[in-house]
Parts: sequence; C-alpha cells; structure tokens
Amino acid sequence: MPFLPRSSYYDKNYRQSPALIRARQPYLIKNALTGIAIFGFAISVYAFTIKAVSQDEFEDVKVPDKPIQPTRAPNTTANQA
Amino acid sequence: MWSSYTCQRCLASLKTGVRPQLQCASQVRLSPQRWISSQNDQPTKSRLPTAQPLLTKRSVSSTARRYQNIAGDVVQSGTSPGLEYTHAPGVSRRVLLQPDNLFHSFSNSPSPDIRRRAAYMKQHAYCPHPDHRQTRQPTTPDDPEAKKSSTAGSPPAHVRFECPDCGIPVYCSEDHWADDYESHLEICDTLRQINEDDHDLRSGRVFPEFKYPGPQLEGALVNMTNWDTFLYSREFEAINADRSMRQVTRLLTYPITIGSVLTELSPYNIRRGGRLTTEGLKSLSALRYTLHPPLSGGGGDIKGLRLNPPAVRIFIVGARAESSLPREVWAQLTHLFPRAKFHIIFIGPESMSNRDDEFPLPPRTPSNPYGAIVEDRISGELKISTYVEYYHTLHKAGHFYPYDPYFDCFMLFHPGLGHPASSHEWEETVPLLLETKVPILATGYTEWDMQRDLKWVQDKMGGEVDLLLEPGENKFRSLRWDLNDLDPQDISCGNWGLWGFRGKRYETTRKD
Repeated sequence: MPFLPRSSYYDKNYRQSPALIRARQPYLIKNALTGIAIFGFAISVYAFTIKAVSQDEFEDVKVPDKPIQPTRAPNTTANQA
Repeated sequence: MWSSYTCQRCLASLKTGVRPQLQCASQVRLSPQRWISSQNDQPTKSRLPTAQPLLTKRSVSSTARRYQNIAGDVVQSGTSPGLEYTHAPGVSRRVLLQPDNLFHSFSNSPSPDIRRRAAYMKQHAYCPHPDHRQTRQPTTPDDPEAKKSSTAGSPPAHVRFECPDCGIPVYCSEDHWADDYESHLEICDTLRQINEDDHDLRSGRVFPEFKYPGPQLEGALVNMTNWDTFLYSREFEAINADRSMRQVTRLLTYPITIGSVLTELSPYNIRRGGRLTTEGLKSLSALRYTLHPPLSGGGGDIKGLRLNPPAVRIFIVGARAESSLPREVWAQLTHLFPRAKFHIIFIGPESMSNRDDEFPLPPRTPSNPYGAIVEDRISGELKISTYVEYYHTLHKAGHFYPYDPYFDCFMLFHPGLGHPASSHEWEETVPLLLETKVPILATGYTEWDMQRDLKWVQDKMGGEVDLLLEPGENKFRSLRWDLNDLDPQDISCGNWGLWGFRGKRYETTRKD
C-alpha cells in the first residue's frame, strides 16, 4: 500500500468538510479561548523576560576621563637576544 | 478481521486493495428545517391494510427491510461472519432517480412502491378539514380531529387531492385544501422533505452512510455529545449531506439511544439540566459496573482465561418493527462497549413485524417453550431473541427470572402507555416491570406523549415509581420525519423524547 487512505472528513483540497465542522461545533469557542489563554501566557512570559533583562539605564553614572598614556621606554621591549 | 492497533480505514484499503473513493464535493448544508412537533400522535398498525379502526398502534419504520435490500452492494470491512448475510455483493444497481430529481407527487411517482402507498392513503386516510364529521376521538390537543364536530358536518371523505407543494394526498378536494391552507402550511415543508427522503431511499444511489464501522480501539473513546461527534468518533464515513444524516439516524437511533444512556460517557448527568436523577445514577452505575468492567489481565491465550460475567440483557418490550432492523445496526450497540456482551430480547405480540420470511416460528419444545427465534451467531458479543408473546405471560412463568439490576434493562420504544388505544395492553405489564426493580427506559414521539405516559404510570401505579431520567428531547433521536400512511397529518420522528423510570425500592417497609 503506497499511501495512507485519505480521511473522508477533508475534501480534495484538504479543507474541512461540513461533517467535521459540525463535529467540532461544541468545542470551537472553548478551544479558541483556551488557545488564546495559552498563547497569551506564553507571550506574556516572553514580554516579562525581555523587559527584565533589557539594558539598564546608565545615564546617572559619570564616565571617568580617558586615562593619560604612559611613556614608551625602548628598553622595556621584550626582545631577548 | 479486527485488529486492535490498526484503524478501520487502513484495514479497509488493505482488504479491498483499491484506492478508496473520494467523497463527492461537500454539498451545501440545507437551511435548518422547522421542527414541527407532530400534530397528533395517533399510533397505527403496520402498513398492511387491516379492518381495525384508525386508533391502533403505530408500527415503527415500516421500511426497515428496504434498507437491507437497497444498501445490498456496499462492501463493509471488519465485520464478523454473522453480519455478512445482509450484503449481497454483485447485485446490479439500477439508478432510478437522480439526486436533483427527488420530488415527485406520490401518485405519479416513478417508484411502484410509493404509488401503492398513495393508493393506500387514498383508501384509508380521511380529510382533516373541519367541515367533515369526526371520525375518531382526538388524541392530542393539536389533533385536527378536535376541530371537527362529532354531530354536524358533511360525511367524512377520503383524501384525494395532493398538495402540489408537497406531493402527498392530504385533502379530499382542492377547495378544502385552499381553505385549510394555513394549517397545512405548518407541515407542508416537512411533508415535502419526507417525500424527497422516501424517493431518495428508492433512487438506487450508492449509500455510503449505511457503511457501518466495526469495533474500534478501546482507547478511542466515543464522544456521545450529539450525532455529529458520535459519527466522527466512531469513524463513520463523513456524512456531509443533511439527507444522508436523516437516513442514517433513522435506523441508528434505536441502538444508540440505549447506548447513550448506559455508557459512562453519557450526555445525561446529574448536574442541573442533565436530566438524570439520583435514583437514575444509582441504577445506571450498577449497569455501568458491568458494561465497563475493570481490566482483568485477560487475553487470547490459556493464561488469559478469566471468568466472564453473563451478558447484559436488554428487554425491548412492545417491540414492533425494531426487531426487523438489520443486525449490523444492533451490533453498533456492542461496539460502544468493548468488554461487555449483550443479549437483546424482543418481546411483544407484534415483534415479528416486517419479518414475514422468518415465519413459521420454531416449534414449542421444552427447551424453547415459547417458540422464540434465537439468533446467536451474529457475533461474539451479540445475541438476539424474539418472543411473540405478551411480557406478562413470560414474567408470570418466570422465564427470565432472576432479574439483576447489574445486568438487566428494559427498553420501551414509543410504548404509548397513556395512549387510549394501547394503554389497556400495558396495564398488566407495567406493574410487573416495576416489580423487577430494574431500570426501564422509554421513548416517545413528542413531549406531550411522554408527559401523558408519565402521568399514566404515576396514576396507575399509585406513585410507586422512581423517575430515573426526566422526560425531554433525546439527543440521539431520529432526524428524519416519518409519515403515517393512515393519516398524513400525523408526522413523527422516531424516539424524539426519552425518559426512564423504575419501581420504588424501599430499604425497609413497615409490616402493616
């Protein structure tokens, strides 16, 4: 058997047949609300996490001035002969 | 062949080896029809002409036989050998009517069977116009006979004129039809639907809806919320058209009504609006203990041998044409309960309606004292017996004694307990039914019918009755409306309403 038989509850374009929609009818609204609740929870977890680890405000910290460069001494190079 | 790990569709392809036919493009769902409760529920005898007055019992599904013949060449997989006799593969099918050509007036119908019915109606049915005299006592408040007077008026006339919109002979003349048009309009749509459905049944098309599935995996629970979820979870082929839904539910309503109450996943529960009472829960829990037994570790081999409980007995008292339903339809009940066995017993004087080729009955011998027809080769889970006797005869003889509330259940399909034509026959039987203390489920054609039955039971039995299931609409009623040949104004659908009762049990009683 090269392929699985097709369910009669989907038509040839894989759209749900009226029989399937009627069978799903008692659960459509409850499932939709459950779906919204679960997605909402997932999205809110993401939102909270991203907000919590987003970069802090550093405007009140005074950045010190750039330090003065030390003078270069020619005999301090590490070049052992 | 049944396998516990392969779904039915795969088994079907393996068996036939051909690509299964794709369902035709989903048809537009018809707009919901007006559900009109039948105007009167006068029961009548089966269609054979009798000399009895109109006020007799209605026989159910006089065309049950026809389903067997018309659906003869639909191949079914996964059935036990006992069920295959109903198919006759290779019968050439001649398409009589195309799906868009289903409306024909009954007298001019292409089908000879329907023309015969039209002739019968014209000989027996009376015109309901108020001008005629009454022919019988009105049985319900909506009965058209109530509008007629019993003394004055023209003599009652047989129906001759067929309404052009519904094609069924309903009045004696065109004037009476035009005069009474408003009351005819209430049922005209439904009559037309009945007309088309009857022609559809005889049209010779393929009936994929009568391809009943076999047993299924235990874990694949059956959803008993309504017909659509039931058909889907039982892996029926998708039934998209409303007409097909009507045709299939008309037969399936009988086993599935019983199954819907007894199963533990039943839509009737003790919450408010669930219609089950506490007493009902007690009775049904006892039955469910047998129907859904805990796993016992049994299997197919010697080590898996376990003691098996006896079969659950369902007594269908006052059976009429239900006993002639194809056995695969009754086997659908056993497929709802994988670990239980059933013995369905049809009892009643008319229990051999529509089964004329099974006559003569077996001789009465000591081992079969009532000449019952016993069909025990249907499947491993189903046995069907038919007794052509009144129930009170069998009860007084103790033939089915002892009655066990864990195994037994009574089912009364449209008994007409309170109906004037049939209540005298039930007067002797119902007290004995209550005595067994076994749950009794009953159905009715309309709400009014059921309430009348309930009142009759409570009056006659002096209140010694516990209500198990409050009267109300049956979730698994027939969606198809049936025509009463003796009175075309009387349309009904099988098992519209469902209720249950039982004899009162007392823990102790005073010795007075």
